Amino acid sequence: MVLQIVLLSGLVVFSVLAILSKDILKSAISLAIASLLLGIIFFRMSAPYAGVFEISVVAGLITVLFILTIALTKAEGDVREAKLAKIVFPLFFVIFILIDVFVMKSLIQNIPALPETAERGTFGDVLWKQRTFDLVGQLAVILAGVFSVLALFRKRDKNE
Amino acid sequence: MGFAAGLIFVGVYCLLAMKNVIKLFIGIEVISKGVSLALLASGFVRKNTLLAQSLVITFIVVEVSLVATALAIIINIYKHTKSLDIRKLTKLKG
Repeated sequence: MVLQIVLLSGLVVFSVLAILSKDILKSAISLAIASLLLGIIFFRMSAPYAGVFEISVVAGLITVLFILTIALTKAEGDVREAKLAKIVFPLFFVIFILIDVFVMKSLIQNIPALPETAERGTFGDVLWKQRTFDLVGQLAVILAGVFSVLALFRKRDKNE
Repeated sequence: MGFAAGLIFVGVYCLLAMKNVIKLFIGIEVISKGVSLALLASGFVRKNTLLAQSLVITFIVVEVSLVATALAIIINIYKHTKSLDIRKLTKLKG
């Protein structure tokens, strides 16, 4: 339990570092560490497949994409963030945490989430048999992503 | 679940306060981490981890596709405006 709270706190701390850090490269690396911690939390919540996806895809692939974009743009110095935003953040965060602590506990009891039924079968059964339509959606989204990236990086004709 | 709400708050604050396009996108990533944590935590509490896990995997696949497209758009924005400042993207205004 203590380790879980330490991991969750680390996740929030690295996410805060990712948004408050001045250097975008440091932000991207903080985000990767946060993803890594989230993956470990998934493993500890007995969700190994989600953990593997989180670590390999989000902490690995997305970080590489971010660093590639930062290297291609090379303009992090020209955007000046408002100093007030960084100064005011701790105040808002503390207020939110207080609201979170007092409200969330009573709220969770009232909001229906997933049905509380005993699960049968393996993860493969759930993913391939129960959620088959999700896989069709995933394929469509991946294809849409590929085509949009191709369209965005196509070479323009001289006449255009 | 409280930590997930905290992550979503951090991401929304980033979207509201920051000006750098890449920073804004990092904010969206932080929100997505909060959402996937909330999904899996609710599955864990309800003893329905397998279903929550499959939903999280679907969410991650959608997220990767979104990231690839958005970063391609950011590179194109940089090519056009030579800047990553969101305030300079005023051509679609009005």
